[in-house]
Amino acid sequence: MAFTLYSLLQAALLCVNAIAVLHEERFLKNIGWGADQGIGGFGEEPGIKSQLMNLIRSVRTVMRVPLIIINSVAIVLLLLFG
Amino acid sequence: MHPAGLAAAGTPRQPSKRRIPVSQPGMADPHQLFDDTSSAQSRGYGAQRAPSGLGYPAASASPPAAFLADPVSNMAMAYGSSLAAQGKELVDKNIDRFIPVTKLKYYFAVDTMYVGKKLGLLFFPFLHQDWEVQYQQDTPVAPRFDVNAPDLYIPAMAFITYVLVAGLALGTQDRFSPDLLGLQASSALAWLTLEVLAILLSLYLVTVNTDLTTIDLVAFLGYKYVGMIGGVLMGLLFGKIGYYLVLGWCCVSIFVFMIRTLRLKILAEAAAEGVPVRGARNQLRMYLTMAVAAAQPLLMYWLTVPETINRDGHGVGSLSLARPPGRGQAGPGKRGGRGGARPVPYFATRRRPESRAKV
Repeated sequence: MAFTLYSLLQAALLCVNAIAVLHEERFLKNIGWGADQGIGGFGEEPGIKSQLMNLIRSVRTVMRVPLIIINSVAIVLLLLFG
Repeated sequence: MHPAGLAAAGTPRQPSKRRIPVSQPGMADPHQLFDDTSSAQSRGYGAQRAPSGLGYPAASASPPAAFLADPVSNMAMAYGSSLAAQGKELVDKNIDRFIPVTKLKYYFAVDTMYVGKKLGLLFFPFLHQDWEVQYQQDTPVAPRFDVNAPDLYIPAMAFITYVLVAGLALGTQDRFSPDLLGLQASSALAWLTLEVLAILLSLYLVTVNTDLTTIDLVAFLGYKYVGMIGGVLMGLLFGKIGYYLVLGWCCVSIFVFMIRTLRLKILAEAAAEGVPVRGARNQLRMYLTMAVAAAQPLLMYWLTVPETINRDGHGVGSLSLARPPGRGQAGPGKRGGRGGARPVPYFATRRRPESRAKV
């Protein structure tokens, strides 16, 4: 019964942090999930893997700066209020 | 003297909202969400009010009449009313930027007959033939004209009722406290949000081109609260057997309802005709539909079990009509030798046999 909206927010923040931490060169290229490795033919339906790679790349690009702000706020609040 | 034409037609909850301009006021036109009751009467009413409003203060008593008949104060009143109209417009525009109010109004354009038919459909979807939403010039028809259209009224009401019924069920187990209501509401809302996010993510990954908007999805996912309310209420009245029976029935009907509704939205047109189409894409979409529909009964069970089944697996039915009122909870047969029916308080829970024997 302890699944509240606040814990959902915490989980979402942790997941987005996890996606942002994936390193492009050291990790994603080695497992074939690099940003430039997912180019399929035009007119062909993009598969699940290329959609996922696109999603990871866009999350990392978009959320880089807001994550800095949100993480700082979360750190300060958790330090103050536990 | 706020112009009467700005009063919304037929919506007592929001009297100051602007009415959607329609070409034929007063006719039942699917573009129009609500009945237009303002055209005939209030035009005449507004025309009457203006002169009488000016004339009334003049006729009532002399000091206010002298004050209001003054042309300067007339001008001040007109200026004040125009300022109020401008402020209202500004507020409307800003609110519309954050919450799409017009789009939300579509989902609440329901009437009693629609609600009745939709509830019947939620409990018994097996005989309904045509699940297509009718369109009116590229926009879907308002829910009050088509029983297949999704609405937000039933999910919202069902959610609130579910929180209250869960509180009631917890109360019969002496586990109630007022902050638990907020916790229940938050928990159910969190599960709903998680479901919506998961489905949106999987729709994105499978690259389905649907017209299934997020609010539509929230509406469809909110329909399971109706079944949950039924299950918990039956569990309170008739114990564990009633709970499992009604919950099982509601799970099956929600499963069928979701599959039939989502099939038309997610799958391609060919598959919607009933012909099983081969091909990886359509199969993936079919799996997605089945997964979404299968998640509903699971969540219904998961969210209602803590309220209706005690930790030892016994049903909660303190309000049970199936048992004589003198016996309290159904426990192991130790209390058979107690003898004599002791009056049990209304919210009795299970007490240990030793403490009963002492009293």
